[in-house]
Amino acid sequence: MLRYGKGDAGAFEALYRRHRLPLYRFLLRQVGSAESAEELFQDLWMRVVNSRGRYEVRAKFTSWVYAIAHNRLMDFYRANGRASFLSHEESESVLEDLPAGEIAADLRLDRKRAVERLLAALGELPDAQREAFLLQHEGEMSIEEIAAATGVSPETAKSRLRYAVAKLRASLGKKS
Amino acid sequence: MIERRDDELSRIYRDAEGPRPPQRVDDNILAASQRVAGARRRPAGFGIARRWGTQVALAATVLVTFTLALMVFERESGLDAMAPEARRTDRPAKVPPAEPKRADQPGTSPLVLQPIAPAPPISQTLQRDPVERGPAESTVSRGGLGTGQPAFVPGVPRASEVLRKREEAKPALAAPVPDAQSAPELRQRARPMQAPAAAPAAGALSESAATLQGSGVTAAIANRLAVSEARERTPEKWLEDIRKLRTEGKMTEVERELAEFRKRYPDYILPEDLR
Repeated sequence: MLRYGKGDAGAFEALYRRHRLPLYRFLLRQVGSAESAEELFQDLWMRVVNSRGRYEVRAKFTSWVYAIAHNRLMDFYRANGRASFLSHEESESVLEDLPAGEIAADLRLDRKRAVERLLAALGELPDAQREAFLLQHEGEMSIEEIAAATGVSPETAKSRLRYAVAKLRASLGKKS
Repeated sequence: MIERRDDELSRIYRDAEGPRPPQRVDDNILAASQRVAGARRRPAGFGIARRWGTQVALAATVLVTFTLALMVFERESGLDAMAPEARRTDRPAKVPPAEPKRADQPGTSPLVLQPIAPAPPISQTLQRDPVERGPAESTVSRGGLGTGQPAFVPGVPRASEVLRKREEAKPALAAPVPDAQSAPELRQRARPMQAPAAAPAAGALSESAATLQGSGVTAAIANRLAVSEARERTPEKWLEDIRKLRTEGKMTEVERELAEFRKRYPDYILPEDLR
C-alpha cells in the first residue's frame, strides 16, 4: 500500500488480486445480495484507492481493509433498517445456553449437502456473529484483529465467534 | 487470545464455491487505481514548474516590458530626431517667410505631409499635459515650442541633411503639391524621408526605422512630422499667417485660427489689428 501511495500501480494490483475474493465473499454473505455486494465492494476499493496518501502502517493491511468493510456494512445496515447486532451481554447469555452440536454422519459423507446446509445456517446467523465467523475464515483474522476491525472488545469478538460456530455446528447436526 | 478454529467446520466452509466479483467491477477498480496512480506521478513534473514558475513568469514579464519600452523609446527618439531636424533645416531654403503653411490652402505648402495633419488634432496634441505625454515627447515640446530648438539626439545622423540632399536632387518633391493629394501618395513620399535617415545609422535609429518600415507606420510618421511643424510655428509666424488669410478675405478661417491661437497661447497679447 505504501508503494502504491508512491505511485506504483502494480503494487495496488497485487493487493487487489490477493484480497478481492475473500473480501467479496465477506460482503456478499453479509448483505445477501450480489448487487449490493458489488456496490459495497467497489466502494470499498475506491476508498482504499483514495486513502493511498494517508495510509500509515499501524496494523496489517487485512485488518485495515476489513475495518473499512465493516464500516461500510454498518452504513448499509443503517440505510436498510438492519440493526440486529447483539450486544455483548446478550451474546454472552445466549452462548451459555447453546448445546454442543455434532455434525451428522450423513453430512460428513455428503460434502455438497454439508456446504449447502452450512451456508444456509450462516445466512441465518445474526449479522455480528456472521461477521465474526467470516472475518475469521475469509480475512484469516485472530480474535484481536476481529475485535479491532469491528470496534468491540476481544471478549465480545470471541463470544460472537463462539456463538456463530456453535450455531453452525448445531445446524449441521440436525437431521434434515 | 487465541481461539482454536473448528477445523471440520472450516473445511466444509472451504468447500463452498466462492463467488467472484464480476469482471467489470475488477476492471473499474483497477482502471481507477491506475488513473489515480498516474495522476499522482504528475506532480513530480509539476514540482519543477511550481519551483521555477514564478521566476520564469517574472523574467518573461520583465523581458516583455523592457522590449516594449525599448521599442517605444526607439520609435520616439528616432522620429523626434528625424522629423524636427528635417523641418528646421529645410524651412529657410524651401519655405518663403510669407508663404502660408495652412494645409487647406491649395498649392501653398511646400510640405508634402501637411494635408494629412490638419490643425485641430495638432492643437489637441499640443494642449495635452506634458506629464501625460511620454518623456521623449515632452522633451520635444519643451525644445520645439519654448525655445524654438527641436530635440536633437547626439550621434544620430541628421535626417534633415539627408532629406535636403535628396530634395535638392529631386526638385519635384519640393514643389507645391496639389491640395487633393491622397493619403497613399503621402505615404509614398514619406517613405523616402525615413529610409535615408535609417540607412546610415547602424544603431538604434536604423533598427527603429526598419521596425517602422516593417510595421507600416508611415502614416504615423507623417502625423508626427506635421505635429513637429505645428510645434515649431512661433506665435509671430502664426499671426502672420492669420493676417495673410485676412488679406485674402478668408474670414471664417481667420476666426478659427484666432480661436485656436487664443487656446494655444492664452496669455499672448494679440496685436491691435487682430483683436
